[in-house]
Amino acid sequence: MSTGSTADTDRPKGLLERLPFVSDSRSARESLAGIGFASPFLALFGLFLLFPLAYGFYISLFNWDPVFIGQSEFVGLSNYTRMFEDPVFWTSLTNSLLWTLMIVPLVITVPLVLALAVTKDVRGKWFLRTVFFSPSMLTVAVVALIWMQLYEPTYGPISYYLGFIMENPPNWLNSHTYAMPAVVIASLWGGMGVNFVIFIAARQGIPERLYEAARLDGASTWQMFRDITLPQMKHALLFVMITSLIASFQVFEIIFIMTDGGPGQNTQTMVVFLYEAAFGNQNFGYAAAIGYVLFVILFVISVANYYLLEGYTSRVEGEVIEGDTNE
Amino acid sequence: MSNETQYARGYEIGGIEISKSQVRSVVLHLGLYGFAGLFLVPYVWMASTSIKPEYLIYDSSPHWLTTDVTFEWYRVILFESPVVSWTIATFALAAVGTLVVVLVDSMAAYALARLEWPGRRIVMGIILASFMVPAAVNLIPIYAIVSELGLVNNLLGIIFPYAAGVFGVFMLYQFFKNIPEELEEAARLDGFSTTRIFFRIAVPMQFPAIAALGLFSFIGLWNSFLWPLIILQNEAMYTLPIGLVTLETQEVTDPGLVMSGAIIASAPLLILFLAMQDYLFKAVALQGTVK
Repeated sequence: MSTGSTADTDRPKGLLERLPFVSDSRSARESLAGIGFASPFLALFGLFLLFPLAYGFYISLFNWDPVFIGQSEFVGLSNYTRMFEDPVFWTSLTNSLLWTLMIVPLVITVPLVLALAVTKDVRGKWFLRTVFFSPSMLTVAVVALIWMQLYEPTYGPISYYLGFIMENPPNWLNSHTYAMPAVVIASLWGGMGVNFVIFIAARQGIPERLYEAARLDGASTWQMFRDITLPQMKHALLFVMITSLIASFQVFEIIFIMTDGGPGQNTQTMVVFLYEAAFGNQNFGYAAAIGYVLFVILFVISVANYYLLEGYTSRVEGEVIEGDTNE
Repeated sequence: MSNETQYARGYEIGGIEISKSQVRSVVLHLGLYGFAGLFLVPYVWMASTSIKPEYLIYDSSPHWLTTDVTFEWYRVILFESPVVSWTIATFALAAVGTLVVVLVDSMAAYALARLEWPGRRIVMGIILASFMVPAAVNLIPIYAIVSELGLVNNLLGIIFPYAAGVFGVFMLYQFFKNIPEELEEAARLDGFSTTRIFFRIAVPMQFPAIAALGLFSFIGLWNSFLWPLIILQNEAMYTLPIGLVTLETQEVTDPGLVMSGAIIASAPLLILFLAMQDYLFKAVALQGTVK
């Protein structure tokens, strides 16, 4: 640990320097400075991130009373067994999976296509970029409130225009079938900007000469997309995929505001379920248990995702290299 | 590959290929601008609803533009709702929180990247691993801790858990790593203390990255919803996102009122965005390239 120099070993040692990890005054000062600089963050990190991880499990073993903690009743693992017997848990888990299946492909492909199109030779790049990114600057509350107006069944414009092509346009947010897709669309509008900008940067980072060489070889647009664009954007895609998956599994705000999990429990996802358990039903121990199960699920998803994608992208890269050597 | 396809897309081959690429370009522009038009629809609806009188808002056929403009909704929301105090609370939250995040994260990132101290590697490992901890998982225990500390209804109860996130430390760590060793050595030989090196050399050198983190934090805190919803239990203390939603869920909801409130809540960030657009794009792009 120490970066001791031999020059000042003759000097008498101070108290700090006698500690095993400190061998001279330079590294003693550096150690002190390092700990001092890091400690404000480490204090917050410890108290509000690390400790809660353990504390959350502890809480999940109780019938937790947030006001009179001493009166919390120890219930062992029964919050967990109760959860697995609770049909609402399974509904929420299914809804979260459904939401993820709908939103993740959209929130990757739509901004990817737009980013690739915008980086081509088009007029008004600045305008287009601004338009596609700007909804991401809005708070989710505003996104939700605007779309609630748009979906309004009696005076909202969407139902009005659909009225021309179908007899009974769906009452979007109150429809068992259409509530979730409706929220997905709103969420896509308000949430794809960051991915869009990341994809633009990644696309601009690809050396143009790769495309020029491919064009000389007579590669089609599709071949260039598959063999150059995708593998070259591997890191950005991986990053976007993992963050989108994790974020979508934790969706809360837009659903809470637009449908509050309804109609019935049709859009109730895991975090809405967790929130309702704690702040609706005052079941804090149960909610903590839900949080823990969510943690395990997300952990498995992101690890699996990482290895699957690593494997896939390196295979694609391998093919490209093979192709090169064949020529 | 084959020679036939090699010249297929060149201009020199004749009329058909040229118009083919022109067709492509037209389709590309139509597609992009068509989609951009769709993207603008929600904005137009928000703006028009906020200045339409009630009879036009509730009309079953939509009025995108109107000559009958009213500023009544803005008058009501500004003078008859707590929107001004919500704005002040939101600004205080975002500004103070950003200061805390930027200061605490850059100090920690500097210590981790540039200083040798016992436990540094272990701490860095733990910070990296906790990237895997999703925010929602810790909701209940953090709420329990915040309420034990008496920080319910206090902006610090939102700021502290936010500042415990590892993203900023991790991001700045990469940037502080890039400062040349010699620069620091030279400063040390000149008798600079670590604090002085940090504030006079490290921070100015990586200021763009620190400012980017500040921008993210400001936007993130301004827009934050779930945590303020849990911590702020007193209407006068609400931030804009929470306040707007309570306007919406009141018994009689006026769309015009909610939409004018939405514009008030979004305007500061949209202006910030338009002013700092290029810079913000660079900052967002950093996220995807940080490995």
